[in-house]
Formats: sequence, structure tokens, C-alpha cells
Amino acid sequence: MSIFKLNSDKQITLQAIGQKSREYKLRPKNNSIWKKFRIPMSRRHLLKWRTSYNKKSLIKERRLEDKRPLWWFISLISFAVSIPWLSNFALSAVAIFCIYASINLLWSLTLGTAGIFSLATMAVVGVSGYIAATANVYFGVPWPLMFVIGTIAGLIFGGFLALPSSRLDGLYYALLTLGLAEICRVFISQIHALTPTNGSINNVSSFIPEDWYLQRPGLLLGAASSFILLLLALLIYRLVNGETLGRKLQVARDDEEFAEAIGINYHSARLKVFLISCAGLGFIGAFYAMYFRSISLGVFSLDQLMLLFAMIVIGGTGRAEGAVFGTAIVILIDRGLFELGPMRIVIIAIVMILVTTYASNGITGIREQFRNFRHRFQTQKRSLITTKGGEIMPEEAIDIHNKQIIYSRRFNSRLRNYLKTLINDEVIAEHKANPVGKHSYELTRLLNYFRKAEVPDKYAVAQIGPLKDSQYKIFAFTGDPEKAPRVVDERVYSSKNEAYHAIFLLRVNDLLES
Amino acid sequence: MDLNLIIYALNLAAIYSLMAIGISLLWSSVGMINMAHGATFVVSGYSTFIASGWLVPILKASLAGTAFYTPVLVFSLTSVALLSGAIFGAIIYLIAFLPLHDKPNFAIRSLIATLAINIVTVQFLLWSFGPRQKALPKLFGFGRIDFLDFSIRYDQAATIIGTLLLVGFMLLWFKNSRIGLEIRAMMQNPEGAALSGISIRRRALPVMMLTGSLAGMAAILLSQTSFFSPTAGALPLIKGLTIALLGGLGSVAGAMLGALIIGILEVITGEISFLGQRYVLLIQFVFIVIVLIIRPRGLGGLLDETRK
Amino acid sequence: MNKILETSKLSAGYGALRVLHEIDFLISEGERIAIVGLNGHGKTTLFRALTHLVGWQQGSIILNEKEIGGRRALGAGRKTPSIIHAGISMAPQGDAIFPGLTVEQHLDCGAYTKESWKNRSSKKEQIYEIFPPLETLKKSLVGKLSGGERRMVSIGRMLMEEASLYLVDEPSLGLAPKISENVIKALLKVEIKNSAMIIAEQNVRILKGNVDRMVGMHAGRLRGDIGHIALG
Repeated sequence: MSIFKLNSDKQITLQAIGQKSREYKLRPKNNSIWKKFRIPMSRRHLLKWRTSYNKKSLIKERRLEDKRPLWWFISLISFAVSIPWLSNFALSAVAIFCIYASINLLWSLTLGTAGIFSLATMAVVGVSGYIAATANVYFGVPWPLMFVIGTIAGLIFGGFLALPSSRLDGLYYALLTLGLAEICRVFISQIHALTPTNGSINNVSSFIPEDWYLQRPGLLLGAASSFILLLLALLIYRLVNGETLGRKLQVARDDEEFAEAIGINYHSARLKVFLISCAGLGFIGAFYAMYFRSISLGVFSLDQLMLLFAMIVIGGTGRAEGAVFGTAIVILIDRGLFELGPMRIVIIAIVMILVTTYASNGITGIREQFRNFRHRFQTQKRSLITTKGGEIMPEEAIDIHNKQIIYSRRFNSRLRNYLKTLINDEVIAEHKANPVGKHSYELTRLLNYFRKAEVPDKYAVAQIGPLKDSQYKIFAFTGDPEKAPRVVDERVYSSKNEAYHAIFLLRVNDLLES
Repeated sequence: MDLNLIIYALNLAAIYSLMAIGISLLWSSVGMINMAHGATFVVSGYSTFIASGWLVPILKASLAGTAFYTPVLVFSLTSVALLSGAIFGAIIYLIAFLPLHDKPNFAIRSLIATLAINIVTVQFLLWSFGPRQKALPKLFGFGRIDFLDFSIRYDQAATIIGTLLLVGFMLLWFKNSRIGLEIRAMMQNPEGAALSGISIRRRALPVMMLTGSLAGMAAILLSQTSFFSPTAGALPLIKGLTIALLGGLGSVAGAMLGALIIGILEVITGEISFLGQRYVLLIQFVFIVIVLIIRPRGLGGLLDETRK
Repeated sequence: MNKILETSKLSAGYGALRVLHEIDFLISEGERIAIVGLNGHGKTTLFRALTHLVGWQQGSIILNEKEIGGRRALGAGRKTPSIIHAGISMAPQGDAIFPGLTVEQHLDCGAYTKESWKNRSSKKEQIYEIFPPLETLKKSLVGKLSGGERRMVSIGRMLMEEASLYLVDEPSLGLAPKISENVIKALLKVEIKNSAMIIAEQNVRILKGNVDRMVGMHAGRLRGDIGHIALG
């Protein structure tokens, strides 16, 4: 299996073997590989470059290990740039997309990072929106302050929601929070002082000036500001998920007892994430009221909540890409196929069912799922070949740097196979008759192999009792200077030769089974 | 307290318990959360509506004025409701149970799948029947029974007695039939049940049809006092879910007790003057949350032993 | 003599972990054998692999000339009921019991075919003869019984149906010596003309001499012949 090819110019070219053979690698010429750009006043890098020398060709190679920031950047920039060129209808769809995506990002934070199965999202958004709108319409608070009020309202509401979350089992909590939105709706609709006209608060002042509203400039401003909202949500997601809090929770997700044992306060971290996401949802609630210049009871509708949940499910929980992508797909179907009427909701539901049935973690999780499947399939195939007894397959050999390991394992397995053929009753009888004397060729080969074994777990004879009358037992060395040899079994032998022969039998047995 | 109020509370409790038992039973025997239970409710309602539109004229023509009219009407429409509930339950089985039951995270995935079914059904109904409310025929007339000090409306009596009959019948069937035995075994030890040759796959179908028909019964009973629209399933679903939680998922007795308590609570709240009707849902919800904080597994832990 | 169960190169485990390594195993009609070995070495995993409760990874399992292996167990044994119907009965480690059902109902659960359901009363009489204490406890809730009684219920349930292969996992686990002796003696008395029984046990002493064969299991491999047995 040569990976070198000499072409006619006597130049060495490399064949593509291995798993990342198609990866694009840079070939930097000078020593600039050792310089990496850092963000000023911090130790962060922008992108994850990795440089190494290729072991075969000794050429410096540089590759980008994590390409996701690149994809995000490209998508967001192209999205932002395309905004001025969109139609009015598309602009409102874009704004809705950004708002929903922000909600879903924060919701992903609760569901995935904090692991709290809460369905109270829209309740928080709605209640904060209503409070902010009330402050503005009935108390004359200027619109910039609405953001602050919304955030605080979300925080307080989140505090109430957080209380039962540690007491209640995940599913119970989910179902309870499901009822919460409906209850808020009914409750608010009954406060007649607040909502004289069928439950909605109108004429909320906003960052969109009144004469721009519903005109193109207003729509552009709305779309641009919701895009900024999306960026803020992404920032919060990144800051919480990728930094301390998120990492602590990641450890706790993998193994909760371990996390507690090393001092991670799992519960307080979870609560903090939950509160942060609720505060963010409050902010979005205020934004929502300002974008639409009103807020109505439709924000609490169960169908709306389920649609958002569908977005997360379709995209995949636990990842920012999932939340955004899922939202995009559903909004695309919802607005793009507007002519189909209620059928488009049916299509969304069908997509939901398909995704749930076949993809274990949404659409963005498909790649991972496929990789797991392929890995499992390959392991099974590989396991069928393990009867070779320790030899290493070519695919694994590439990953092992020290090739001597491969050669010595191959040698040892072939040696063992040969020695197994030497074992027969005659050899055993010969040894029984004469453990220490002159031996035949086969027996000598076997004994040499046994004697060259490593010390850990090597059998030995121990002499017990006074020299004349001594008895013998079999021990095994542990290989650790501080530990005594362990007893193999309780049998006692009256002569050294018997003990030697017993050890021989044990070693033969081990050889036959290896 | 006014006995009429007690009757009213029992009436509510009966309907709530039908929904709650359906959810609780399905969870503990099959491990599935049925978010489409509200859809089953509404579909049964609409099927009965269609059936009544078709059946009532025939019956009026043939049996009007006779003593047979009401019983036949009641019987046929109730059967339609129960049957359509069962059929819809079977549909949910096909879509949400069969493909998913052996995959990891079955509970959440079945939640999502039944949610999707709910969405589709509501949209379909909106599209076929429009969003306006419809009324189902009054099955029991407007009379009242006067009994001792208080009077019960016919439909209230029917609700309470009918629910008790249906649930009682169901429990009896559970205790004495082979299928009931197998379902109880499944509830208590899924692995042991599998080793006894009980296949969850096959037994889930009767359970889902049964819970579907419970929802159908709730639909026809509730229709006597309120109107029907495609989105009318949301509130019964939420009430069913929260009461099932209150009673402890998996405990039928707990669900009934929970429904009773919630029914009484609703009536009391309505009567207290400064609270009134609009605080009902909120008070119920707060009550349930408080109980669950004290006893995270619901009331059912007191009453019997089941899986979760 | 008919082969009841034959496995070849059976490997099974949990996820990527492999617990059983290439087990070759054969048991014929009328044989009662014991698998001995320390805890954690794979006896229970072997039983669970045979009844599809644990991940099969490789190899074939042939029961009465039909292949029942070859399927990965994703959840808790999707194929288990069909394997039970094909003729394996198992009394798992720690008892497959339903805490809210009575002893009698447990035994009823064990009769899953139509004929045995119809004949369940007579079959129950047989079980009461094998395990006399159960007769008095007929109507008691199993959740309230002692360990030995629960074990008897679990094994009784297993015996309600005529199976080709009986798998009993650790019948003496957690029981007082006298009680476990009774349980195992009862097991040894069960007639197996056209079937076979495999008992997994740590306690070799009770079984010695009463079973046709003893097979050792160590670290997921069967060690029947030379080696341990030859050495003592």
C-alpha cells in the first residue's frame, strides 16, 4: 500500500488516503505560520488555523480546523447586503424571520444548554411585551426605555418560572409551561382596563417613525433593526454557550455526578442561563411591541408556540445553526408558499413528522447522524476481521504515528499463531516429565517465548515453609514495585517440578486464548 | 353550599376526568404523550355534527314524538362520537406510535409527532368547516329532574352518570380481561412484559383507541353546554394535561381525584365575588403548581403503584 | 438428538462496548446445563443477547433451526416478544415482576398462547406443586412478597408456557441459602423432555453433579474444557 508515486519527473506526489483527503490546505512559504492575528486587548484568535508539517512530504501545511465561523460570516453578510433589494412582502418576512430566529436562539439556550424543557417562551415574550406597551401607552414612558422595562419584566417573570423547574420532572415542567401561555391569554383578555379593544394595545410608540410605518422606509428600518436583533441574540448565544456557563453545563450534561464532584454548581449555572434567556426574551417582547406598533393576544396563541417549537425541532436543538436554519425553513414555507393557504401549515407539519421520525437531531444534526451510522457500520465490518488477532488495518494505520507499533504487533501475532501450532499432547507430556532438563526444539521455542513475557502478570513459583520441607505455590507479579504478587489459586504443590509444570500449563492456556 | 353548585362541579369534573384519564393512561402504558388528544376531541365533535345532520331528519321523520326518539338519538350519536374517537386514536397510533416506538427519545418525539398531527387536523378542520362555531343538537332536551332539594338538568345528569358508567366499565374491563391484564403489566414493568411475550406494539393500539373514545365521550358531553369550533380542542387538552399531571401521570384514580378537585375549585372561584369567572384558569393553574411542588409526582403516589 | 440452540461467533455488547466475544455454544434436547462465572463476566449479557434485550453485534443464533439473531436492539428489545413466542422463556436476574399484580395474575401473564391461556388453571396447579408456598399466596400482591417468594413467582411465570429453551438467570441471587436451595432443587426437578434449560449461577456447589454440563464464563468468553476445569 504505497502512498507514494514517482511520476516521470521523479517528483513525489501524494495519493489521497485517509478521511480528510479532500481538505483544502494552504502551503505557506515563509515563517509567517508562527504569527497569528489576535483581537486587540485579548488573547482570542479570529479563526482556528492549524499548522503542521506533513509527515511524508515535509511540507508546511496550514488548514482551517473549524470552518463554521466562515459560513456564518458569509451567510450573515450576504443576508444583510440583500436587504435593500427585497420586495416589501419579503422585507416583512425577513423581519419576522429575524424576530422568530432570535426567540428560537434564546429558547435553544434554555432547552439545549440549560437542559430545562420549558415551553413558556411566548408567555414571557408576550407578558413583557404587554408590560412594556402598557408603560408606554398608559404611563407615557418613552420608547427607548421600553427595552429596559421589557428586559426587567422578562427577568422577573423568569424568576417565577425558575422556581418550580428544579422540583419538577422535565416532562411535567414542559406540560405545565404549555398551559401557561393559554392562561396568560385568558387572564389578560379579561383585564378590561388595559385592553378595551379585543385584547390588544395599540399606538405604541416605536423606533420606526409614525409616517414611515407600513411604507418602504419603515419596512427597511424594521428589517434592518430586526437583523441587528438577530445579531444580538447570536452574540448572547455565543457568549453564554461558548464561555464559562455553557462549558460548565456541558460537563454536567455529560456526567452530572462528575460535575458536582469537581465543584461545578450545576443548578446555579442552569438558573443563570434560564434567567439570561428570559431577560433576552423580555427584550424581544418589547421589540415586538415596537415593531408592530401594537401587541395583541395572538402572541400567546398555542398554534404560534407550536410553530416556533416546530422550527426548533426541524432545525435541531442544541445548536445555533439549528435554531436559525429551522426558522428559515418554516418561514420560507409559510411565506413563500402563501398561495397554498392552510395547506402550507400541513406541509410544515408533515416536514415535522418526517424530521422527527428519521433524523435524531433535526436537519443540522443529519451530518453527525450519518457519521455515527457510518462509524458503526465500519466498526462492525472491521470487527468481522478481528480474527486476524491484533493486526492493524490500513485505515487505522494511517492514524498511528509510530509505525514501529504496527510492525511489532504484526510480528507478535504471527509468532503467536506459529507457536499455537506447536502445542500438542507430546509437548505437554515432555514438559511434565522433565521441566528443567534438555528439551526438544518445539518445547524450547515455547519456553523461550514464555520466559520473555513482560513482568506484569508473569507467573512465578513461591517457596513456602522451611527449606527441607517446603511447599510451592503459584503467584503472579503485578509489575508494580509497591504491590505484592497476587495469588493465582490456592493449590499447593509439593515439588518444584510440579509447580513448574503447573505454570507451564497456565501459560499454554493463556497462549491458546490470546 | 348550594347543591346545584355541587352538581355543576361534578359535571365539570366528569368531563375533565375523561380527558385526563386518556392522557394519563396512554403515558403510563405506552410511554407516549398525546398532544393530539385535543384534536381527537374536536374530530369526534365534528363527526357527530355531520352524523347528526344526516341522522336527525331521518329519526324525526320516523320516530318523532315517540318515547324511542331520545334514546335512539342519544345512542346513535354517542356511538358515533365514541367510534370516531377510537378511529382517530388508531390513526394517531399509525402515524405517531409505530414509526417511533423503538427509537431513542420516544417520549419527546411522540410529543412532536402528535403535535404535528394536531396542527394538521386543526388546519384541515378550519379549511373544511370554517372558523365559526357550530352547535350540536341537544340530546337530552331541556328538562330538569327535581330531586329532594335540588334540580339537575338532564344533560348534567347524563354527563355524570355516563362518565361514571364509561369509566367504571373501562376499569372493570381492565381488571378482568386478558388485554387489561397485559396493559397493566406493561405499565408496571415494560421489560418483564416483553419477557412474558406481551408485545407493546400490538397492545398499544387498543389503548389508543380506548383513550380516543374517551375523548369522544368528552366531546359529546361538553357539546351540550358549549359550541364547537376547530380550535375548541386547545382548552380541553390543556385542562386534560394539567389535571393528568396533578393526579400523577399513570394514575387513573389520581386523574379522577384531580378532576374532582379542579371542578370544585372552578365552581368555588366562580362564586367568590371579587374573583369571578376570569380568574378561574389562573387559580387552577397556581393550585396545580403548588401541589406539584409539594408532591412532584402528583396525587397518584398515594393511591397506586405505576411506572412513572 | 435435536439441537435446541446453537450460537456461532456471537458477540454482543452495549453501544461500542463489546461484552461477549465470539461465543460458540450448543445445547441439545433434554440437556440441563449451568453457566458459571463471577458477576460481571457476561452471563446475564448472554441471556439478554439471546432474547434481544441487549445489542447484538455479530454472529448467529439459531433456535430450533431458525435464525433469531442478526438484529440490532435499538430500544428495549423490540423483537423480544416474538422471540419469546418462538420458544425461549426467561426468568431474568432480579425477577420480572409487576408490583401491582397478584401471584395468580403473574402466572396468567406467563401463558401467552391461546391454548395455554385456556389451560391455565391446570398449568397453575402444576406450578403450585413445584412451588408449594405460592398456593397460599395466590391472591397476594407480588410487591409485598419476600425475595424468595418473588423469585418463585418469576420462575413460575416462566414455566407457565411450554418453551424450547428455559433461561434462568441467577436463581439464588440475594436469597438465604436454605431458600435458594429450595428454589434450585425445584428447578432441577422440572421435566424437560423436548426442551433445554440453561441456569446461570455463581453458586457452583448446589449445581455440581445435578446438571449435565457445566460451562465457565470469564470475561465474555466461554471456557468449557481445558484450562480451569483441567487445573481444578
